[in-house]
Order: sequence, then structure tokens, then C-alpha cells
Amino acid sequence: MVNTMRSRGFVSTVAILVFLAAWEIAPRLHLVEGFYTSQPSHVLTASWEILRTPSFVKDVSVSLEEFVLGLALAVVVGVPIGLLLGTFQTLRYLVDPPIMALYATPQLALIPIYVLWLGIGMSSKVAVVFVVAVIPVIVNSIAGVRQVDPSLVLVARSFCARQHDVFRKVILPASLPSVMIGIRLGMSRGILGVVVAEMYVSQDGVGNQILKLGSAFRVDHLLFYVLLVSAFGFAATSLVRKFEEHFEGGR
Amino acid sequence: MRNSRTLLGVVSFAMILVAWEAAVRMGWLNPFFTSRPSLIFAALVTEAKSGELFHNLHVSLGEFAVGFGASVLAGLFLGVLAGWNRIVEYALDPFIWFLYSAPLIAFYPIFVIWFGLGTYTVIAISFLLAFPPVMVNTIAGIKSVNPAMLLAARSFCARPRDVLWKVALPASVPMIVAGLRLGLGRALTGVIIGELFASSAGLGYSIAYNGQLLKTTDMFVSLMVIAILGVAGTQSLSLLEAHLDFWRAGPGL
Repeated sequence: MVNTMRSRGFVSTVAILVFLAAWEIAPRLHLVEGFYTSQPSHVLTASWEILRTPSFVKDVSVSLEEFVLGLALAVVVGVPIGLLLGTFQTLRYLVDPPIMALYATPQLALIPIYVLWLGIGMSSKVAVVFVVAVIPVIVNSIAGVRQVDPSLVLVARSFCARQHDVFRKVILPASLPSVMIGIRLGMSRGILGVVVAEMYVSQDGVGNQILKLGSAFRVDHLLFYVLLVSAFGFAATSLVRKFEEHFEGGR
Repeated sequence: MRNSRTLLGVVSFAMILVAWEAAVRMGWLNPFFTSRPSLIFAALVTEAKSGELFHNLHVSLGEFAVGFGASVLAGLFLGVLAGWNRIVEYALDPFIWFLYSAPLIAFYPIFVIWFGLGTYTVIAISFLLAFPPVMVNTIAGIKSVNPAMLLAARSFCARPRDVLWKVALPASVPMIVAGLRLGLGRALTGVIIGELFASSAGLGYSIAYNGQLLKTTDMFVSLMVIAILGVAGTQSLSLLEAHLDFWRAGPGL
């Protein structure tokens, strides 16, 4: 196992280094137009410049705040709804079709509507994150409840557990891993949601910077922000994965 | 049982439409912000008659078909390659995760320079969004094939090509279809946000255009059409899965 891990890390690192080298050298040899592709060394200098500007912290904190608020709302609203729908069949049959229709629709198409309703400020972005994140949270919470082994519930009932206890001590812990998957999916959708919503219309935030830098063709600066968002997404989803493993271990 | 389920589904959509219409007519909701179903339906008919709807639909569907089609081909090909060969998998891994988590729409100004405003840029965005999940799930599918089945096939002197087409791919159908489902959603998202930013035609463009003119009803017409496309696409994938996965006797294989 250790051996395969090492070779995995080794091969991936080599691949990244080869890619970076090709990216650095190709524009220098005029194989590609460096104006559009930029170069790793330019991206590094750009990163240093951006990190020193005071507005950087403000942009990041605005986007982060929108993301965290939207995601927290999605979890607080989505998990109870999902658990409820998973438990009561008739309710689920009634609400399932509209939820599935929303799941199949690209939610980001609704951004102009939220801007119309909530204006160009922070609340329309929070709404975007909430809506894109809440649906996978609901769907996976429903799935979590439905995957619970019926014999566990039966055993609990046989030992005269009340409905309330069955829910709290059997259904809830057993459906947690699936709920976490929903939160993880909602997170990655929410990150894209914040950036796209800010790009559509906003006055600050990472998406706003991306739009400005893109229109000005500052590819080196643009790439810094794209890599930043990418790294944040990767780190955040890895963190939730760790939680998932933790809960799996608890079973 | 099945009938009551369909019935409840129809009832729930009908209830939403009636509540929406009634809330606006009673003055609880401002039609400027929310429009109402009867107005949206009337606008849908007008747009259909004028040909505007079909023009936008034609543009978006074309972009979607090419973007998603290319991502399926590339995703399956690279997925099989990486599922078969660990070195390829490890080498592609970091790039796939970057593509998966990067807000690729950020690159649209560069795509516009390369491919021009409109169709080709939108296709590129849709392709790049849709192809990682197809590939990741194909890898996972190929790697999760029961080794005993592979061994059995090899013992009967199956050539690698036969093992791939007759054992590994059929056995990975559920994983691959799950990837296609994710990819389909992302391809559609790619088309819509691509058109929102970098196009002058299509359903996404029509939403952005009508949004700037504050024409709520026309925005909802395009939104409804997009929702119907999304549902239709997802449903047809379920049919495809049932068709391709007929051989599986039951869960647990």
C-alpha cells in the first residue's frame, strides 16, 4: 500500500513538473502565444503582487462570507427537509417531482432572477449558493434515510423504542454518511455558484476580480485567482471527505 | 402504487402553478418580479410562433449536443485508458482534479479570443465542465470490476479487446451512467453560463438579455424550457441505463 502510494505521488508529481516545464518553455520558444497562456513564473510574480494589495483580503472575505452563509443556510434548511421527506412516503411522492426537476435544471440559469429579486449585493449571491447547495443536500438526506437497514429499525421497535428514539438513535446516525455526501456536493456546486454570480454582477469579491482581469487579459493575475478557488474547493471537499470517513468508521 | 406516485407528482406541479397564479392575482406577489404561469404560457406561444424560441433552442441544443458528445467520447476514452493503466491514471489525476474544482468560466475571455463569441466558446466551456465526471466515473467503474470475472474471461483465452468490450465495460455501466448523469448536468450548466457571458444567441443568452430589460415573463419562458431539457435528458439516461444494464441479475454483483 505504502509502495503504491509512493509511486502515485511520484508519478503525479512528475506529471505536474513536466506540465509546468512545458508551460514555461513553450511561450519562450514562441510555440504558443504567451500573452494568452502566461507562464508559471509570471503567475508566481502575479501572486506576490496580488497578495500584497489590500483589496485582496476584502475580495476573499466577501466571497467567503457569501459562500459560508449560503452553505450554512442550505444545511440548516436542507437536512431537516430531507430527513422528513425520507421518513414520510406520501410527502416524498408529492415533493419529489419538483425537487428532481430542480435538480436536473442548471440552477445557475436563475442568477439573473435573483439579481432582479435581491439586487446586486451580497444577498443575491447568498441566495445562489443556498439554492445550488440545498438540492443535493435534500436529495442525499432523503437517500440516507431510505438506505437505513429496515431490520435495524425493526430491532429498535421490538425493544419498544419510541418513534422519537428510533429517529434520533437509529435513522439519524445511519443516514449521516449520505447527508455528508450531499453537503460535499453542495459545497462544490456552491463554490462555482459564488464565482459565477459575482462574475454576472457584483462590486467586489473573487468573481468580480476574475471578470475584471479576464476582460483586461491579465492572464497571469487571472490564473492566480482561478488556482486559489480551485485549491479552496479541493481543500474544502477533502475536509468533508475526512468527516465522511470518520462517520463511516463509527458504524 | 406506481399510479398513485405519478398522480401525486402531477398534483404537486399543478398545486405549484395554481398557487403561483393565485398569489399574483390576489396581489400577494408582484407580477413584475414573479410573473405568473398564464402570462408565461402566453409568452411561450408568442415566442414559438415568432420562431424566436426555436432559434434559441436550436442554438443551445446544438452546443449541448457537441459539448456533451465530445466530453462523453473523451471521458470514456481517457477513463478506460486510466482505468486500465495505473501510470496513466496517476499522471492525469492532478489535472482532472484541477478541472473538476476550477471555475472554468473564468477563462471565457480567452476562449472568446481563440474561438470567437458564441457557439465554439460555449461548446468549449460545456466540454471542459462535463468531461471530468465522465472520466472519473469511468475509471472508478473499470477499477471496480469484479476481478474474478476478468480472470474467468482471461482463462477462456479472451483477448484484451474482448475483455474490455464484453466484460469490463458492461460491468461498469452503472458507474459510467452515474458519471454521464453528472456530466449531462454540468454540460447543460456549461451551455447556459457560457451563453450568459459569451454568446449572442441561445436560451442562456435570452435569460441574460431579458434580465437586463427586466422582462421577467420572457426570462421564465427560457427557464421553463431549460428545466424541461434538463428533466428530459436525465430521464433518457435512466432509460439508457435500464437498456444497457439488462444483464445484471440483481444487486450485489
